[in-house]
Amino acid sequence: MAYVIASPRLGTVGDTYEPADGVNIEALIEGGFIKSTSKSTKSDKPSKDTNEE
Amino acid sequence: MATSTYLSNPVVTINAVDMSDQCTSAVFTRMIESLESTAFGQTNRSYVGGLENSTLTVTMYNSFAATETYATLKALVGTQVTVKVKPTSAATSATNPESTLTASYMESLPIVNGQLGALDTIDITFTGGAYSVAIA
Repeated sequence: MAYVIASPRLGTVGDTYEPADGVNIEALIEGGFIKSTSKSTKSDKPSKDTNEE
Repeated sequence: MATSTYLSNPVVTINAVDMSDQCTSAVFTRMIESLESTAFGQTNRSYVGGLENSTLTVTMYNSFAATETYATLKALVGTQVTVKVKPTSAATSATNPESTLTASYMESLPIVNGQLGALDTIDITFTGGAYSVAIA
């Protein structure tokens, strides 16, 4: 799972974030400090309904 | 004369988030519990070291804005957190050591500490965890 920094409190915004041991990733995501880049893989799913009807 | 003056630039990180600009106080105390080892025949009490139980207590301005105090702490209550304190923002060195508590427990989070005509400030204490210090 890859993450991108979303707050200057954690580093340079836009940089890839590599969590150190012991860091609570869920808390960082919930607080808006990082974003998961895994969303792009979801959008790659083919949508079955398109043009079927 | 040996003195340490803290003007404006100690660094406090909580769960890797730099919260220095919200902190007004940080007290990092190393503590190793004492176990009494006094035995018959002794005329004074004696102790040996037991488990380490160090603490970090920080006083912070409370803010509910995005990526501020509340956003940083709300998901950490009741969990183990890594916290770090450094005397100044300069590079870590023997004269600017970075103290760390790894897997320190955050028991409580005051949500509001409101008083008329005063800024909302909260005290957060992190207890236990493994102590380490970096000098480079």
